[in-house]
Amino acid sequence: MSNEHTVKSYEEELRYLIDSVIKMGSLTESQLVDSMDAVIKVDKDSIDKIIKSDDEINKFRSKIDTQIMTLLVKRAPMAIDLRETISSLKISQDLERIGDLSKSNAKKVKPLPLDLPEELLGNLKRLGDLVIKQLNDVLDSYVNKNYDKAKEVWEKDEQVDDLTYIAMESVIDFLSKDKKNLDFSTHLIFATKNLERAGDHITNIAESICYLIKGEYLKGSRPKGKVIQQ
Amino acid sequence: MNNVKIKSKNLNVYYGEKQALFNVNLDLNEKEVTALIGPSGCGKSTFIRCINRMNDVIDICKVSGNIEIDGVEINDKNLDVVSLRERVGMVFQKPNPFPKSIYDNISYGPKIHGKGETKSELDEIVENSLKKAALWEEVKDRLNEPGTGLSGGQQQRLCIARAISVNPEVILMDEPCSALDPIATAKIEELIDELKKTYTIVIVTHSMAQAVRVSQKTGFFHLGKLIEVGKTEKIFKNPDNKMTQDYITGRFG
Repeated sequence: MSNEHTVKSYEEELRYLIDSVIKMGSLTESQLVDSMDAVIKVDKDSIDKIIKSDDEINKFRSKIDTQIMTLLVKRAPMAIDLRETISSLKISQDLERIGDLSKSNAKKVKPLPLDLPEELLGNLKRLGDLVIKQLNDVLDSYVNKNYDKAKEVWEKDEQVDDLTYIAMESVIDFLSKDKKNLDFSTHLIFATKNLERAGDHITNIAESICYLIKGEYLKGSRPKGKVIQQ
Repeated sequence: MNNVKIKSKNLNVYYGEKQALFNVNLDLNEKEVTALIGPSGCGKSTFIRCINRMNDVIDICKVSGNIEIDGVEINDKNLDVVSLRERVGMVFQKPNPFPKSIYDNISYGPKIHGKGETKSELDEIVENSLKKAALWEEVKDRLNEPGTGLSGGQQQRLCIARAISVNPEVILMDEPCSALDPIATAKIEELIDELKKTYTIVIVTHSMAQAVRVSQKTGFFHLGKLIEVGKTEKIFKNPDNKMTQDYITGRFG
């Protein structure tokens, strides 16, 4: 944003809203990192903490909703302010969904055996690391209002799709070797899928940021990787 | 998009030494509502007053450039201003009914323009105009009562009825709701929506929300210059000009 509003309290309300989205984003990122860590290390002790952090994220979502309602009623925002308000609403929705997926993944740690083979977790970790990087980058582009960076994240989701495909394949390979692995392998398949879906929410956020900055939606369809085409 | 009804080309207006409008080029489409916004003194009222030559009544006012209605220049000295004002009606900020009956308020215009020669013709014009202005039901039983006895919102609709009684093509509205409460404002806005099917409407407003609600096209004036004009939706969601954005978002220092 450029000049400040003539009405100072309006300026403050908008800043407060943007701050809330940034804080919610950083909480969501920590939760995603923790849940990924718990899966890879099969760390069952951290499950409760991760589930609890989701409550915090949900509270942020309600708080942001209230802030947005107040802004709409009080200020009837226009142009950049309107786009800022609406994108906050959309971004907070996507962050909340990412939080739900991280929570869901944390819950999947419980039935996992402690001696999972390295190659199985390796591919999942690579996927998780990429999704975390994507979230970090998209939040960074939000903070700095960086259109190019947001667009880059949007385009890079293709890699998330590809890594999802690879991670899925390694779980299915593992499963086909021994039917006894069926129970927890299913959990790993869902965890992999959850990461891919988190990736999709991140691209939604990237789209919202691009709209916020330029006032127009990204043109054309997003490049899609292997998992989607199947 | 509809045809262009009114076209201003390099329009300049001076009040004595002071220039009020600078090279305004603006097309207003037929049967559409164009909203003009901008801070006080930016020239938006001056601009609409050029469309029915209301500035003629100000001695020190000089106008150069062109304004065409249906391709015909209206700044022509030989043009009959009375017949121009018959084609271009105007509604002002404060409702200003004549101190006459509701009936006379409406029938006065048609009479002086030689329309409605018989009583029954005039009755019909009065009824139709009041109906078009969504006032008929409220006043049909008291047409002989003074227009000034109506509520503010009703008076403004009476003025709109008076403007349309001579069957104009264009209606200019200079902040028509600024003295009205939200309900009366809503009624006028609803009416504008209906009237645009028949008339070309230009409205000056200080309410951004009103401009968004009633208009299809919006022009932003600042210090006598037309800064930006475009589809209303575009202007209020994603204007091209930073000054427009600063104004509509309340960042004007």
